[in-house]
Amino acid sequence: MAGPDATGRAGCARRAAAVLLCAASLCGVAAARAERDTPRTAARLAACEACHGTAGRPPLAGTPSLSGQQREFLALQMFLFREGLREAAQMAKTMDGLTDNDLLEIASYFARQPPPRADGKKDPGLYARGAALSRAMGCGGCHGEDFRGQQHVPRLANQREDYLAAAMKAYRDNRRTGIDTTMNGILYRVPDADLEALAHFLAHR
Amino acid sequence: MKQPLSRLLRTPVLRKLAPGALALAAGYALAQQMIGPPTTPPSPEAVKGQKAKGGYVPERMKNPHVMPHPPRMTVTPPSEIPLDRIKVPPGFKVELWAHGMPGVRMMTRGTKGTIWAGTRIIGRVYEIKDRGTHREHRILAEKLTQPNGVAFLGGNLYVIAINRVFRYDGIEDNPDVKPVELTAQFKLPPEAHHNWKFIAFGPDNRLYVQVGAPCNVCEVSEEYAQIRSYSADGSNMEVVARGVRNTVGFDFHPRTGELWFTDNGRDWMGENAPEDELNRVSKSGQFFGFPWCHAQGIPDPDVKKKDPCKGVTRPVALLGPHAAALGMRFYTGKMFPKEYQDSIFIARRGSWNRAALFGFDVVNVRVTPDGRNAKVIPFMTGFMDARENKFWGRPVDVLQLPDGSLLVSDEQVGAIYRVTYSK
Repeated sequence: MAGPDATGRAGCARRAAAVLLCAASLCGVAAARAERDTPRTAARLAACEACHGTAGRPPLAGTPSLSGQQREFLALQMFLFREGLREAAQMAKTMDGLTDNDLLEIASYFARQPPPRADGKKDPGLYARGAALSRAMGCGGCHGEDFRGQQHVPRLANQREDYLAAAMKAYRDNRRTGIDTTMNGILYRVPDADLEALAHFLAHR
Repeated sequence: MKQPLSRLLRTPVLRKLAPGALALAAGYALAQQMIGPPTTPPSPEAVKGQKAKGGYVPERMKNPHVMPHPPRMTVTPPSEIPLDRIKVPPGFKVELWAHGMPGVRMMTRGTKGTIWAGTRIIGRVYEIKDRGTHREHRILAEKLTQPNGVAFLGGNLYVIAINRVFRYDGIEDNPDVKPVELTAQFKLPPEAHHNWKFIAFGPDNRLYVQVGAPCNVCEVSEEYAQIRSYSADGSNMEVVARGVRNTVGFDFHPRTGELWFTDNGRDWMGENAPEDELNRVSKSGQFFGFPWCHAQGIPDPDVKKKDPCKGVTRPVALLGPHAAALGMRFYTGKMFPKEYQDSIFIARRGSWNRAALFGFDVVNVRVTPDGRNAKVIPFMTGFMDARENKFWGRPVDVLQLPDGSLLVSDEQVGAIYRVTYSK
């Protein structure tokens, strides 16, 4: 049966200590470093950041930024990769052997990083068309009025444009399912040009 | 073994900070386990600011802060399933019959007593054996795309995922049998949304299969928004009911053999409309209104045509707004009092597209065989806290055992309850 593994417990104890330390010293940086310093997690984070980038370094082409992403969204997506329920280059291999505890520590780390900034040139016409589409489709209903996401619904604001367009096409064509099929339903029959306008708008929020 | 995600989300730090406060820790655990919509909608200023930037305008979406609730994909230990919160009528009792099966949903039973249960996103089919004092389960299939549909006929188990169909021949005698794939024969359409299947064999030994609308509301092409029946090998397809948005539960009347089904109403039409439906098919091929006409004759505000409700077979009963009325079965057992004979138990998984939670229970519907005088009565409640507007459990399917007791699956905590009655 499920039970906390030894590493998980050690990590928690260390975190508890860090939280107490911070409460005394009001030092947020120490907490972030303490978490990152969990040896298991630190090694994994380096692997993540090699493709997904860091706050100061943008991700590789076609790869989403994880900085400032919703913690629960990240943890659930990593769970889907680990269980072989969602496919993406490298991800099943990267997740192999990770415990639920590892997933949560990684998710927490990225959720705490500053969100990405808009990258690339803004096309006012395309942006306006994307904004109108987003209004009509009610994207903000779940993703938030400022597209920062909530819980298991991801942040979209300033995400990489190429990634957003590819993800929406994958939902529409049933090559990707989230933790439910809401996105498949919403993007049913939406043409490429509209998805690209939406991606441009969201990438430049 | 992996540590449950949800347990970790409840960070043990707090317990370490308050050692010995066990009662407090238990209360904290349940409070964290309860899920509900965010309590604070965006401020009018925030919305106005976004409008100025060309962003989100709530307009039709009256409750912009509602969204589908997060699922739980990790094991919930029995100590975290608050059985004492479940309420049933006097004389009835609820036990935790099986647990440790994240995402457990639709159930079917083999002639030798094995239970199989499908799931959605976690992609598994569970097999459950009753060992008398306890139940054992194994994962029969995994990594499928939402294998929600399970049915049993003539010694064979049928499993239908969104895009694939399998038959496990003689599985109760041969547990390691390799499945026969019937995907090509059934020719099911590929769209994922609303197409996690509910399936059941009718008294005619044909396999009844749902094909939902691949959208919230839209004009669908011919092959969607219907219930079909097939010969068990996937041949001789026939459309039994049309204009059905998304049924995830049906059964056959024990006296008439007619098909009755639940249907989920559309989203984003306000807090109280349209209500989910209980329908009866009195003639094969009947039309039930989607996308033009909902519930007891509400025309759709987005998809319009002249006389939208003309020729539409009206529901036998309304099952509540956004309630997610799913698994349903007629009760034919001898254990429950006689007023339950031929009545229907319906699991309502509970709303997401509504600010105030609704459903999260099992109701009992008493109705004549021709569909008159339907009464919807609460039966099994306590999975949500209306005052807090939060829930902890989501009943999805019901299944009667030969002794007349009733199994109820709970997708949120990965458990199956058994409801019994004694005077």
